[in-house]
Amino acid sequence: MPVMNRITLIQRLRRQGRPLFDSLAFLAVLAGLGWLIMAGAGELHYNWQWYRVPQYLYRFEDGVFYPGPLLRGLGVTLELTGWSLMLTVFFGLTAALLQRSTSWAGHAVARVYVEIVRNTPMLVQIYLVYFILAPILDLDRFVAAVLALALFEGAFAAEIFRAGIEAIPRGQWEAGRSLGLSPYAVHRCIILPQAIRLVLPPLTGLAVSLIKHSALVSVIAVADLTTEGRNLIADTFMTFELWFTVAALYLALTTSLSLLVDWLERRLPVRSAGHD
Amino acid sequence: MPSRPRRFGGLDAVILVIAFGLLGYVLHRANSHFHYLWDWRLIPGYFVRYDAGLGGWTLNLLGQGLVATVRLAVWGSVLAALIGGAMGMCRVARSLFLRLLSRTYVELIRNIPPLVFIFIFYFFISGQLMPVLDVENRMAHAGPTTLQILTFLFGPPELLPNFLSGLICLALFEGAYVTEIVRAGIQAIPKGQWEAGWALGLRSDQVMGEVVLPQAVGKMLPALAGQFISLIKDSSLISLISIQELTFTGTELAVSSGRVFEVWLTVAALYFLLCFGLARLFRRLEQRLNRNRHPF
Repeated sequence: MPVMNRITLIQRLRRQGRPLFDSLAFLAVLAGLGWLIMAGAGELHYNWQWYRVPQYLYRFEDGVFYPGPLLRGLGVTLELTGWSLMLTVFFGLTAALLQRSTSWAGHAVARVYVEIVRNTPMLVQIYLVYFILAPILDLDRFVAAVLALALFEGAFAAEIFRAGIEAIPRGQWEAGRSLGLSPYAVHRCIILPQAIRLVLPPLTGLAVSLIKHSALVSVIAVADLTTEGRNLIADTFMTFELWFTVAALYLALTTSLSLLVDWLERRLPVRSAGHD
Repeated sequence: MPSRPRRFGGLDAVILVIAFGLLGYVLHRANSHFHYLWDWRLIPGYFVRYDAGLGGWTLNLLGQGLVATVRLAVWGSVLAALIGGAMGMCRVARSLFLRLLSRTYVELIRNIPPLVFIFIFYFFISGQLMPVLDVENRMAHAGPTTLQILTFLFGPPELLPNFLSGLICLALFEGAYVTEIVRAGIQAIPKGQWEAGWALGLRSDQVMGEVVLPQAVGKMLPALAGQFISLIKDSSLISLISIQELTFTGTELAVSSGRVFEVWLTVAALYFLLCFGLARLFRRLEQRLNRNRHPF
């Protein structure tokens, strides 16, 4: 016993290292990187104009708040993410249920969908939707963007839903069936309500990746945050200031959602649904 | 329940009708409403073409793009593995400094859209790093044999600075994901292995090198294989900073030839064949590896 205690104590000391010194060294490295960027910019005779950035975020006129292009872009990004997330859940759940069904064709269709989406780059998928599907079906570019994003994330959501459904113990199924419920009723009343709890945290993680991937639709000129940033850079040549601002906005959005995921995972403890 | 055998039923008929109905509707609209004239005959010529001047066959745009994508994938994964390996070791290191450094790297890259990262970093690399490396000047002094080897490994010499910028962007980006795979692999090894190593009188670096890492690598392999396929897919993003790989040459070709539908479908099919083929290959290798493990 004392030996074990000593080992854990040594381990703990080893783990901690020298916190103060290490933190300072870390800050020094950050400062060094910052200096490197500044020095590089200085060499290019880069003219930092941070004071011009806030007007692109928001304006106050007569005490009334007007969002600037960047905040409007952020709004479009959120709108895009919201619509796509709804469609993603639809595509994902459909694909997951079809993959589980006894239907031969349903399984094949879901499988083909998932394999195609997983094995091609998202950028190429956006081009396929925008250059081929959109002109054929007369789709607006925003709709094309939502469709492309949802088709992409749907294939990953399918895996999340499948895992969530399969995590429900078999006994729940058997109990439902032996009570005389139809397979549809078992899914709707017993399996899915329990699976939701399991699926919610990874689904929020999916929303985070949806926000990140939504930046890609700037290639088809949907007026999202990245597009607004690119347009402003073309107008003002404030390359670094604007890209750093755009990155910071995305970072704020994704990290706050990631924190929400952590909170959800701690908040919704998975109640084991019986003895498997 | 999935345990029941699949057979053809009423649901199958409904699903097939819906699937083929949608496909048929899209094709019908393409022909009747959009008046698109399909012409697939030109596509093979975009892979290889006969060069009368050279008197032989050379790669055309799509062929060049495909080769460039494969090169990017190979070198990118080597570089990403180096970065990820080093950073992964930092993630589990004793020193708080190393842990802070690697954590910042991973979180920063994973929480910024890849596109934004690539744009920021490209300005930085092409503006700062490339002049330091001075690739163009060095290439000018290289001998013909060196040039041939470089051309085989990295593609046309005049595009080398461009290729390297894209490569570094890609590797730094994928490195963050490799870092997490390495960290998870090392942390998956039970604590008892460490304690047993220490109890035998090994130093921590010996335990890491001789006890933990050999076991961890086996656990990492499937995830690393998946990451390799992700890298191939993510390499398409590099086209947006004008690195001439498959997606870039596809864009060029779609614009110049006007065969928009055929070109994009071909590009997508190429990526699919590459990634799907590799995924199947890796799965088979994994099964073989598992079969050869000792049955405990």
